[in-house]
Amino acid sequence: MEEIRIGVYICWCGTNISRMVDVEDVARELSEMPGVVISKDYKYMCSDPGQALIIKDIKEHKLNRVVVSACSPRIHELTFRKALENAGLNPYMFQMANIREQVSWVHDDREKATKKAKALVAAAINRVKWHESLDKRTVSINPSTLVIGGGIAGITAALELADTGSPVYLIEKTTELGGNMAKIDLTFPYLNSARQIIQEKIERTEHHPNIHIFKNTVVDEIFGYIGNFNSIIGQNGSEIDLKFGNIVVATGLKPFDPSGLENYGYGKFPDVITSLEFEKKLLSGNILTNEGKDPENVVIIHCVGSRNRSEHEYCSRTCCMTALKYANQLRSAIPDANIYQAYADMRAFGKGCEELYTSTSRKGIMFLMFDQQNDLPVIKKAEPGDSCNMLIEMNEKLSGEKIEIPADMVILMVGLEAHEDAKKISHTVGISLDGNSFFMEKHPKLDPVATTTSGVYVVGNCQAPKDIPDTITQAKAATARIMGTIKQGEVEVEVITAVVNEDICCGCQTCIQVCPYTAITYDVVKGVSVVNEAICKGCGTCGSACPTGAIRSRHFTDNQILSQIKGLLSKSLELKEV
Amino acid sequence: MSYEPTIIAFLCNWCSYTGADLAGTSRMKYASNINIIRVMCSGRIEPLFVLTAFREGADGVLICGCHPGDCHYHEGNYKCLRRYYFLKKYLTQMGMNTERMRLEWVSASEGKQFAELADDFTEKVRNLGPCKIKEAAETLT
Repeated sequence: MEEIRIGVYICWCGTNISRMVDVEDVARELSEMPGVVISKDYKYMCSDPGQALIIKDIKEHKLNRVVVSACSPRIHELTFRKALENAGLNPYMFQMANIREQVSWVHDDREKATKKAKALVAAAINRVKWHESLDKRTVSINPSTLVIGGGIAGITAALELADTGSPVYLIEKTTELGGNMAKIDLTFPYLNSARQIIQEKIERTEHHPNIHIFKNTVVDEIFGYIGNFNSIIGQNGSEIDLKFGNIVVATGLKPFDPSGLENYGYGKFPDVITSLEFEKKLLSGNILTNEGKDPENVVIIHCVGSRNRSEHEYCSRTCCMTALKYANQLRSAIPDANIYQAYADMRAFGKGCEELYTSTSRKGIMFLMFDQQNDLPVIKKAEPGDSCNMLIEMNEKLSGEKIEIPADMVILMVGLEAHEDAKKISHTVGISLDGNSFFMEKHPKLDPVATTTSGVYVVGNCQAPKDIPDTITQAKAATARIMGTIKQGEVEVEVITAVVNEDICCGCQTCIQVCPYTAITYDVVKGVSVVNEAICKGCGTCGSACPTGAIRSRHFTDNQILSQIKGLLSKSLELKEV
Repeated sequence: MSYEPTIIAFLCNWCSYTGADLAGTSRMKYASNINIIRVMCSGRIEPLFVLTAFREGADGVLICGCHPGDCHYHEGNYKCLRRYYFLKKYLTQMGMNTERMRLEWVSASEGKQFAELADDFTEKVRNLGPCKIKEAAETLT
């Protein structure tokens, strides 16, 4: 057997790790472990010089194993695997110890944190000794893409892909394309017509030779993996089998229903309407009260259902600017109207938005601030003698005064929330939801459109509330990624599948029963189980059920995990004595 | 010096490990007694891993997977649950306090829940005192 020669690298991550972990001490102490040839610490291991350091050492010191102790492997495992590859080493001869997300950022005792870091690195060193070279596996990419959701996000993705000549299956659950954008009049901050933009795109989508649209359709189940997905969808009573290589999830969000908020009297007062209902009035060209009159006093209330512990804690991001847009539209339509903005905080980030705030505030609009957490405005019916039909009582935060605002029409700027079927969709495509039922991206900064399931991308509002430019940016980013894989024709996939040692397999078929993917079959002639590696996703459930140890989960073998446990505990107990 | 328990936590890659990472990115603080080992799925966690941890000196073992119905591999967490019940019986037969082992579901968005769980389990194991399995095994062999 070849001599084991391990290189150990402890990352400072600037001060992120080094502030709480004595990285130099860790590197020094671990250099004494059997098999470790060199042990170093460095400011940023993931940087180009950091990776170059590893590559140089592999060549100079003939290293055949590498341990990097840094951030979460979910962030940089691939980075370092590539570095190993560049140095001519198999990328799987590598193990990471997570001492940032799971040590320096979560502990506040430097001595204890340093001890824990040492134990985790010792575990990684012990594990990496058992690592073995794994061969790369590639799969071909079907050039078709499934796009779920026919709003601006889905339409943009579909058109981008179709324009390159790739087939697209566009699934829309309602009878019309356009989504929420088709329901609004003008866009902020430049007050362009939303309808014009979306209508042109809808028409192009509907007539595009590469786009197959399925309206009134939902996707119940998707099988397969990146490059080779398939799904059977019902269409006009018949079933169609679709095959596609990538999936774009663009299912959007829905407006918050304010019926449950008693203070706003939605449903009780006919002239208290939601922002989307006001859009309907704008699109029809008539801004009239329930009684058919021009409203003299219009109050726009912000943050309805948003930024509040009892409804949704997050900011819906689009409502402040939409509210300013309404003020401008109202000012043009009814020049004499009194327009009030009852707001919690004015959030005017993004290109052209602060400018919209400034210009709107010069148009005789009253801005009144309230406390969104503890003291919401209350809408009341006006007294018979009053010149308006409603009164809004609120404690104005800036002046500190209790005030009453007259109103003939109240527009509730309702927030955005996940669709009820978000969970179902997440299961269908195999991705995760966050605490607000938005789909989770692979990494919030480094990979904001991919997901943890290869070949599945999330774009637009279903990932989090955002405006139209951000939605389009995301849709185009995802399609660029997809086009990259289509152009290459094949993509590398995980190689951590299960493998059967036919010499030990007793043919009990326990593994066949526990496999969630029916990836294992029974070879009657040989009397052993056989794993289909194209279907196996490497969960390892079969490996832990196998009574003889014939099934090994590659890269998560018994020896690898047991050594990790032993390495961790022996270091941890050794340091306890000190 | 007061007794500090050593705890091994087996976390599935998709939900619980990501949840633990989220506790980190959110800078939540929890007991440093918890040492995490990553597996792809809680279905991969063999009884042997848990027993080895105790044999090698762990005072507690925490197992975390995706919530029922949310498993990245559809149903690995159910397999994990079955083994957990089996293992509990086995630990009882060995004369061990089963409270040293705990299974909890932690999703990718539950960083706060993971941090609270880590503290809570550490406290429980601390109150149980050191696990003597390692010493006993060494005396016997």
